Amino acid sequence: MQIDEDSPGKRVLLMGNEAVARGAIEAGVQVVTGYPGTPSSEVIEALSQSKMDFHVQWSVNEKVAFDLAVGAAVVGARSMATMKNAGLNWIMDMLMTVVYGGVRGGLVIYVADDPGAHYSSNEQDTRFVAMYGKFPCLEPSNQHEAKELTKIAFDISEKLELPVMVRSLTRISHSSGDVILGSISRERNRIAFDRHWKMPYRWNVYGPPGPVEKHRWLMERLPEEIKIVESLEEPFNSLRLEGELGIIACGIAHGYVVEALNSLGLRANLLKLNTPYPIPEEKVLKLLRSSKKVLVVEENEPVVELQVRDLAQREGINVKIYGRHKNSLIEPYGELTHENVRRAIARFFEVKIEENEVPGAVLDDLVVPRSSMLCAGCPHLGAYWALRMALARKGRIPIVNGDIGCYEQGGYGIYAKKVEPSFSTESKKYRIESVYEMLDTNYIMGGGYGLAQGEFHAGYRDGTIVGLAGDSTFFHADLPSIANAVVNRANVLFLALDNSWTAMTGHQPSPTTGEDARGGRAARLDIEKVARALGVEYVKKADPWNLKEMQNAIEEAMDVEGPKLVIAERFCTLQAIRLKQYKPKIMYKVVEDKCIGCKLCIEFGCPANIFYAEKNKAAVDVNLCVGCGMCAQLCPTKAIVEVVE
Amino acid sequence: MIVYQMVVAGVGGQGSVMISHVIANAAIKEGFNVRVGEKFGAAMRGGAVSSHIRMFKGEDVAPVIPPGEADSVMALEPLEGARAASKFLKRGGVLLMNIVPIYPVDVSSGRAKYPDVDEIVRRASSFADVYALDAVELARKAGSIKTVNSVMLGSLSGLMILPISRENLLSSLLEGVPRGTEEVNRKAFELGERAMKGKK
Repeated sequence: MQIDEDSPGKRVLLMGNEAVARGAIEAGVQVVTGYPGTPSSEVIEALSQSKMDFHVQWSVNEKVAFDLAVGAAVVGARSMATMKNAGLNWIMDMLMTVVYGGVRGGLVIYVADDPGAHYSSNEQDTRFVAMYGKFPCLEPSNQHEAKELTKIAFDISEKLELPVMVRSLTRISHSSGDVILGSISRERNRIAFDRHWKMPYRWNVYGPPGPVEKHRWLMERLPEEIKIVESLEEPFNSLRLEGELGIIACGIAHGYVVEALNSLGLRANLLKLNTPYPIPEEKVLKLLRSSKKVLVVEENEPVVELQVRDLAQREGINVKIYGRHKNSLIEPYGELTHENVRRAIARFFEVKIEENEVPGAVLDDLVVPRSSMLCAGCPHLGAYWALRMALARKGRIPIVNGDIGCYEQGGYGIYAKKVEPSFSTESKKYRIESVYEMLDTNYIMGGGYGLAQGEFHAGYRDGTIVGLAGDSTFFHADLPSIANAVVNRANVLFLALDNSWTAMTGHQPSPTTGEDARGGRAARLDIEKVARALGVEYVKKADPWNLKEMQNAIEEAMDVEGPKLVIAERFCTLQAIRLKQYKPKIMYKVVEDKCIGCKLCIEFGCPANIFYAEKNKAAVDVNLCVGCGMCAQLCPTKAIVEVVE
Repeated sequence: MIVYQMVVAGVGGQGSVMISHVIANAAIKEGFNVRVGEKFGAAMRGGAVSSHIRMFKGEDVAPVIPPGEADSVMALEPLEGARAASKFLKRGGVLLMNIVPIYPVDVSSGRAKYPDVDEIVRRASSFADVYALDAVELARKAGSIKTVNSVMLGSLSGLMILPISRENLLSSLLEGVPRGTEEVNRKAFELGERAMKGKK
């Protein structure tokens, strides 16, 4: 289906992120910016498919994306910035300040959280940020509501002149559901600028009478915010009173709670909550006053729970409140499941439950883990292999500081392998059994280049210190870090893995792609030139498919004092095949007589290299092999050879 | 009210998300509300991937199937079939499984043993109806190894266990495949269908 199909009333299947994109289109959005981050990326991807007259872009990072969206809203445009949970951390500076005076055009912040950390390095709850910045947060219960709330968010934002957050999560964003299309607004806000619009120095927080007055203006918005969320129409913030005990189910929790109540044959006073901040106080009070006790079910942190407790205390209502943190009935980590919600409700009602029979348990001991892998022929495999060999030769006890992108899999480990904690006070060397065990540290975008410098300045001298980044991360987060390393003379090795795409999140263009969000031509930045301009004197490029060349480049750089950069440059293999820029021609096979079963090709980590334990022989999976030849280069007995047709 | 719920399981890159969308679109054509809870692997490729398809009417439901309640599991790969069935398949449900394995690094590195496919079939048969087929071979017969999922969907259709008509399934499939590949996918669908005829 076309995302901007003009057929109101039609019921279609949309992924949550597509539903948000559709909501923005129906609202007449004018500017959309964002940085890719699973599970949020498909909003901009879907919008990029539309030829309608709005500006959509992949920005270099979330901070830039959000600054742009604010600028657009300042001149009156309906604008939206999209990001994942961790992406929101990047916009905090502007966000905490733009609320001092707010916006003119509707400004929507779309954030996809990830309880369960399916695609993320943490389970942070971004709704706290709405509370922190004192602007409304809307949370859908399903995909249709994601579309509707996105549309409503623009209206609320313009009414309040404040940004509005739409908070989604993996189970909405990356799930699909039937959505009923609405009509598309063809109206566009007028683009205009007035420096003193409704308030002196409206867009300049220091302008007289200054930030404190603008803070007062923000605080005075709160009653109006509550009034708006109170008056949302069905199915949002709907309250049904039909029992003695009360449950507040926020967002995605609603489906789980309804199913649990039905399966247990119970009835409750149920508030389906879609505004975790601020909460609709009248409705919550009605629930508190009609219930002997109340259970709050929400995803992640106690954002609603705390506000309900606060409200009850303020109003002198002595009702016991249960949740995930205090009086906890559901553990305060991990995501909601049928099991934990059902158990919590049973305990809350003090009824016995029969756990579901799971007859498939007879299969349990057959099921082994499937650790994720890089793609066959991935350039990162070559870069990691070369790094591994170089560090094994002369890195002593190296520290490899990783980062976020496909190459973060270099730290995923092998799930089936048991690792014991160590309590050594000395630096300790570990044998790396596969490229999936390369990373020593890994947290966030841009973390690797910074951590490396800290380790150096702290005096770590037991081995080589490496910082890693991909091309998209390099421009997202690492430019200040490199400048810092040059200025402060850190003796660290930077590795940039340039595959020309933001691949992990689904191949969005990066600054080294030369393409914009809608597929048009864009400027293409060169990492080498940028690094040299920032003052890195030693910069070397190598092709990761050429293992020797790559390893030599790294080893040579290791001998250089000060910050140095090695760029592993090769177009993403998967994308090259998709775009028909690369067609596998040569295939490889293992000559069994020559194979000594050393498993070096397995340690290399390419999914096309498999191993038959019974025979103690390696093999190449012809269905997966892309003919890069890297495994043939590293085989010590030359047992991996080209297939001659 | 839940009408039908199933898991589509496979390995990243096999297209389990695409095929579950085909089924969900067919369910919408049939007039149901639908929810597809997807769990992509941690990365784009190579990890375990499963989709939960829930067809329902009326009141909202959660995005995933409760343990032991799936009416069927359609597995594009045997280990993933075992993984999904072990947690979600109900007693008396259906496991439809492609028998061609994709080995995880955990197995090739010698840290784990790939389960015997016959043993998966034997154990699953103790509580469910199991239909195992070599969908890769049938896809090759259809004319393209890329039509494995169409073979699987045809097999599912041939079992006649879904509350969805053959026409709606097939038309959703043909709308979902790349333009120009309709015929080979239709053929794959029919081969899968024929393989299951009379089996249930």
